[in-house]
Amino acid sequence: MARISIDPITRIEGHLRIDVEVDGGAVQKAWASCTMWRGLETILRGRDAREGWVFAQRFCGVCTTVHAIASVRAVEDALQLEIPANAQYIRNLILIAHALHDHIVHFYHLSALDWVDITTIPNADAARAASIADGVSNWPGNSHRELDAVQNKVKGLIGSGQLGIFSHGYWGHPAMRLSPELNLILFAHYLQALEFQRKSCQVVGILGGKTPHIQNLAVGGVMNAINLNSLATFNMDRLGMLQSLLQELIPFVQQAYLVDACLLAASYPEWFRYGRGVANYFSVPDLPLDAKATQFDLPGGVIMNGNLGGMQPIRSWRDDPFRAAVVEDVTHAWYQGKEPLPPWKGKTEPDYTDFHEEAKYTWVKAPRYNGHPMQVGPLANVLVGCASGHPLTRKWTDMAFKTVSSVPGSSGSGLNLMPENLQSTMGRYLARAIRSAMLSDLALKHWQLLTDNILKGDDTTYNPPQFPPHEIMGMGMHEAPRGALSHWVVIEKGAFTNYQAVVPTTWNASPRDQKGIPGPYETALIANPVVDPEKPLEVLRTVHSFDPCMACACHTLDTTGREIARVKVL
Amino acid sequence: MNVGLMNTNASRSQSRISVVGIGNVLLGDDGFGPLAVEMFRCLYECDSNVEILDLGTPGLDLAPYLYDTDLVVIADAVHAQEGEEPGTLCVYCEDDLGSSHAQLRLTSHDPGVQESLAQLRLAGHGPSEVIVVGVVPESCALGKGISVSVLNTSLTAVDTIARLLAERSIDCRRRHAPVPRNLWWLTGSA
Repeated sequence: MARISIDPITRIEGHLRIDVEVDGGAVQKAWASCTMWRGLETILRGRDAREGWVFAQRFCGVCTTVHAIASVRAVEDALQLEIPANAQYIRNLILIAHALHDHIVHFYHLSALDWVDITTIPNADAARAASIADGVSNWPGNSHRELDAVQNKVKGLIGSGQLGIFSHGYWGHPAMRLSPELNLILFAHYLQALEFQRKSCQVVGILGGKTPHIQNLAVGGVMNAINLNSLATFNMDRLGMLQSLLQELIPFVQQAYLVDACLLAASYPEWFRYGRGVANYFSVPDLPLDAKATQFDLPGGVIMNGNLGGMQPIRSWRDDPFRAAVVEDVTHAWYQGKEPLPPWKGKTEPDYTDFHEEAKYTWVKAPRYNGHPMQVGPLANVLVGCASGHPLTRKWTDMAFKTVSSVPGSSGSGLNLMPENLQSTMGRYLARAIRSAMLSDLALKHWQLLTDNILKGDDTTYNPPQFPPHEIMGMGMHEAPRGALSHWVVIEKGAFTNYQAVVPTTWNASPRDQKGIPGPYETALIANPVVDPEKPLEVLRTVHSFDPCMACACHTLDTTGREIARVKVL
Repeated sequence: MNVGLMNTNASRSQSRISVVGIGNVLLGDDGFGPLAVEMFRCLYECDSNVEILDLGTPGLDLAPYLYDTDLVVIADAVHAQEGEEPGTLCVYCEDDLGSSHAQLRLTSHDPGVQESLAQLRLAGHGPSEVIVVGVVPESCALGKGISVSVLNTSLTAVDTIARLLAERSIDCRRRHAPVPRNLWWLTGSA
């Protein structure tokens, strides 16, 4: 038996450590550990509740807008404060643009190279690659000329002997199985994706005033001044710029990203058998359609034991069963405390002990839903959507399944996928692409809702909050790129007395709980193949399928001269 | 209205300059980058082709802000080399970031800096020049604010940024009266 420790595991945010025991070429046991203290909530205690979002936006450098919006929603919930329809649409558009950006970066820049071996690209037949790509997509970036140019760049890079940031890949690993042509297609899109990242940022910048830290939020709505006759405010020019950017962004998502995810799925069909993990899922409703947030474009729900037929919907942000179900357990996390606590009563008192797998071994708490570990993220979204017969989810899921089965000559051609099969490592990749295609449709819909509402003469964006002297509690939800996010606040005289953020990665990277039941990463790794313990590529594939983000912060804890990642076979 | 990334339609004859601060303002001296660019904005006046941005800790999300730029000046907390005191000012060019010590991490955020730069270069959209203006931090503890040693150096760092721009014939003038600064994370309330 081999014991492997990978630290850090994420390509950028170096705070996740994974330990696995491997026997007979497969993982037998796994532990997920976050190696950085995440006590940012303590900084919010005593702060003015109207300004909590400005600080919450700094919890994580990647999910800035996500925390900002969950924070204002939590305070508005505590006040039972309605916000104007314009504010809902503007926030929705920011959330959509951010999510598209995030998913594109995840697929291409954070995880594609777990599946794509760039060192084979010089051997590709660029003309053949262009014809393969043409067979599955109308994306204009698949021309022979474009692919030829990318191939030459890669030849130059490899010829220089200086692979730089690409020198850490597991090139030539036996689990890398794409043809040189598919490697070329996906890597061409890896480079093209940079332009579309930028366009999503521009959308957020136009709406939020600045990016990555938006400036336009307020408890009670948004601060965008709408006046169609004034150049200095939000006007038809700005709306027109938004529309053009969205129209440029959407084809990349639907014709390049989604199709690439389908190409991967068709080429690596065995990865629909690995990585299922915790089969309990939940998703929260998002993209409200009205001022009172009674209707949503994206459905919420809870699925237990992979039973899609028994899905229980979460219909609103004020869903009482949800509020009563969530607790956080710190038995195996470096915090003081014994009994699991609901977030409103949550504490964040550190109790660091070093890594002890039988005792405490991570800074991540173990959130539980009615006592159960839960998986969150695009897979949960798509399963809940399919289980509730949500037409937009069905549209893109069916489209993805059809594309996977139609990829000519791949091992997965003829693969007859059902939503249940998505409960796997590859399913998480495909679900994220399906979710992105859905969001890109919704981007234009919410742009239209905003434009129509403004043209109707509604220019309100803000309802001022009034804080009572007594204690109030609230919870703000958002279905973020990595899954359901909730901010839980307690406010007295307009200032926070408690603040807890239960973030998607806390659900997914959860350690074992007091009953010893492991979290989604830990469970998903069981039976994961590992051909070569020195090069645990397959472990990375499953962990990266969750898109880990260990709440960014200061990285100066890393010592100078440290390796990018350390794999220790113990 | 200062909208980041909006000068996309500026003609390519006009150069695009970015002065960006990197770091987490909630983590003590890690907030040096955002502090330096805010002070730079308040003390100096630049043409509209110079974008001044507090980018927080973007990781790979840095790439969109470097896309097709001519010059990027990055203010960031950097690792101390042997014998360097907290508050030491260090200026690096791009070659220092990667080359001979492939594993050397100069700034606390340079996995993101290096990866973003390499991706953009390969895609043909990288910046022409990258300069890091760094300060060795004293403490990056949660909620501790900026230490005196780093605060003392930050004015020098700001003047250094201005000098680097001026040396490249980029219009950057010291304001007669500074504009009010917004260092919300260092004050008692936002």
